Amino acid sequence: MKKKKLGLWLTVMPLYLFTLVFVVGPLIYMFVLSFCTRGDHYETVMTFTLDNYKKVAEPVYRNTFMESIKLAFTTTIITILLGYPFGYFMAKLSSSKKKIMMALIMVPFWTSSLVRMYGWSILLQSNGILDKILMGIGITQKPLKLLYTYPAVVSGMVYALLPFMMLAVYSSAEKMDWLLVEAARDLGASAWKAFWTVTWKMTLPGMMTGVVLTFVPSMGLFFVADILGGNKVPLVGNVIQEQLTKGRNWPFAAALSVILMIMTSLFIAIYRKVTGAKELEGLM
Amino acid sequence: MKKRIAAMISGVLVLMLLGGCQSGGTAQESVSTEKMASLSGQELILYTWEGMFPDEVISEFEAKTGCEVVYQNFTYDEEMLEKLTQTDGGEYDLVFADDYIIEQAIDAGLVQKLDKAKVPNIENENPMFKGQFFDKTNEYTVNYGAGIPLIVYDPNAIDFKISGYHDLWNEKLKGSIALIGNNRVVTGMVLMSMGESMNTEDINRIEEAGKKLQSLAPNVRLIKDDNTQTALLTGEASVAYLYTSQVYDALNNNPDLKVVVPEEGVGFGLMAGFIPSKAPNSEAAHAFLDYIMEPKTFAQCTEFTGYYCTNIGAETFIDDSKKNMLVVPDGLKGEMIENIGIAANDVHQRIWTEFKAAAGAAE
Repeated sequence: MKKKKLGLWLTVMPLYLFTLVFVVGPLIYMFVLSFCTRGDHYETVMTFTLDNYKKVAEPVYRNTFMESIKLAFTTTIITILLGYPFGYFMAKLSSSKKKIMMALIMVPFWTSSLVRMYGWSILLQSNGILDKILMGIGITQKPLKLLYTYPAVVSGMVYALLPFMMLAVYSSAEKMDWLLVEAARDLGASAWKAFWTVTWKMTLPGMMTGVVLTFVPSMGLFFVADILGGNKVPLVGNVIQEQLTKGRNWPFAAALSVILMIMTSLFIAIYRKVTGAKELEGLM
Repeated sequence: MKKRIAAMISGVLVLMLLGGCQSGGTAQESVSTEKMASLSGQELILYTWEGMFPDEVISEFEAKTGCEVVYQNFTYDEEMLEKLTQTDGGEYDLVFADDYIIEQAIDAGLVQKLDKAKVPNIENENPMFKGQFFDKTNEYTVNYGAGIPLIVYDPNAIDFKISGYHDLWNEKLKGSIALIGNNRVVTGMVLMSMGESMNTEDINRIEEAGKKLQSLAPNVRLIKDDNTQTALLTGEASVAYLYTSQVYDALNNNPDLKVVVPEEGVGFGLMAGFIPSKAPNSEAAHAFLDYIMEPKTFAQCTEFTGYYCTNIGAETFIDDSKKNMLVVPDGLKGEMIENIGIAANDVHQRIWTEFKAAAGAAE
């Protein structure tokens, strides 16, 4: 019994320590920093102030939050529309085909997401690959201006986050008991009704996980807006980065981060409340 | 299965995180502080942006002295100052960065005075660029190049002549300007177009510049700080406001492009090298500075970086075909972009974010 406990401690402690040092520590640091004052020479002074939070409320910075939320929502909705059917049908494949599908989803991740975004910019740029193909087959006459637009940013975000939705939906559809659907059909439900009352409800927790995994990162993936959006979509992430570098205002950057985190947590809570999902399936 | 999926998803998350943090610092090796008479077997930790020195120049120094050059990068000047502050002027032997950040580093006591006896080639420096605001007494720095942001346009894509900043507001340029992402330079351009100093601390004037900058938004196609010239070369944009090195690269790739030295004047910046206050190997740093200040080596570096030459002796060694792009034209009027007070800087930050939002909304 004692031996078992020791083993448990030895295996669990490193992770706890890691979490304390690298997750809880920085969070506390950031929280404290957000109430600090910036000195005359850009240094951080340990004097309590709420000014950083007041500054977050200025229209220009409030607007960056709105932009971030808008982009995150758009991205999440499109990933649901594309990812849910994919995950659902993937679960119905034979096991050998499932493996192939899984491999196809995973392969792009062998390259850094940053590199893949540059790939998109090469694809979309004026006189780029897409333009050449479209002009070659005579659909368009002159180069389209696709890069550095809002749809380009959304495409990049969806591309980066779609696998999370696919895998999450797949995981719940995969372990679903399909006999329940058959039972519903036997009892006279239409295919649609059977899907809606059985499959949808049972895959909802999986989709929820997908939503969280898509929504939360999309609040922070600011480099996509930089590379594909030509810096014209100012997201909270961009402002935080600028305040940490050119603005040299770390306390303000910390306040922005704290608000961003609170908002993200709030959204997760709302999602869970609305969908009634008790847990983030497959993750917690 | 559930666990396997969870493991896979978390794996993917980790990979994404790794992809996102491209500018993370590299591992730093500890440097031996042992003083040795010769540089052989020693290390010189050079800290600057990526691609600031041609490989031949570095390997020649290594071959001559036997001192290994460890090249470490930063992306932003501010990142450099932060690291320098954290290490209290130690860790790095030689830093090349922009003028305004050097002023801050000197103010913070993070820079040591040069021992000019160890850098005899310093006499080759162009006096025109000496004694600037960040090092008025020429005690701390050696200039490495001058940057003069200029307007470049594709005459085939535009049917009128551009002669200054004011032309950028022309309605014909809707959605066709590429801008560098440096807010002080871009807003500085607007201030200059208003006949104001780029370094004004008058909040009202900066606010006015912010409004004028917003009215430029419909013409802006993209804002990007690196490789901005690519947009001009691919036809994504027909006009660009570019850094010197980008102008150089654009012209090398398309000699038909027209360069405009704006009639309102220019704002210029300097890059310079300095030795941090507690550099572990200042001996090697002095030797490296002296080595690159040799006219021939400096010309090699200038042709590589594409910045205006700040070394008089080197000018003759620059390839004739490149002289017009690398040797400073006579009678250039302009001012340096200097550090401004905290209140003015905050306004600059805010109007920059407002401008980006306006550019997105005008799409």
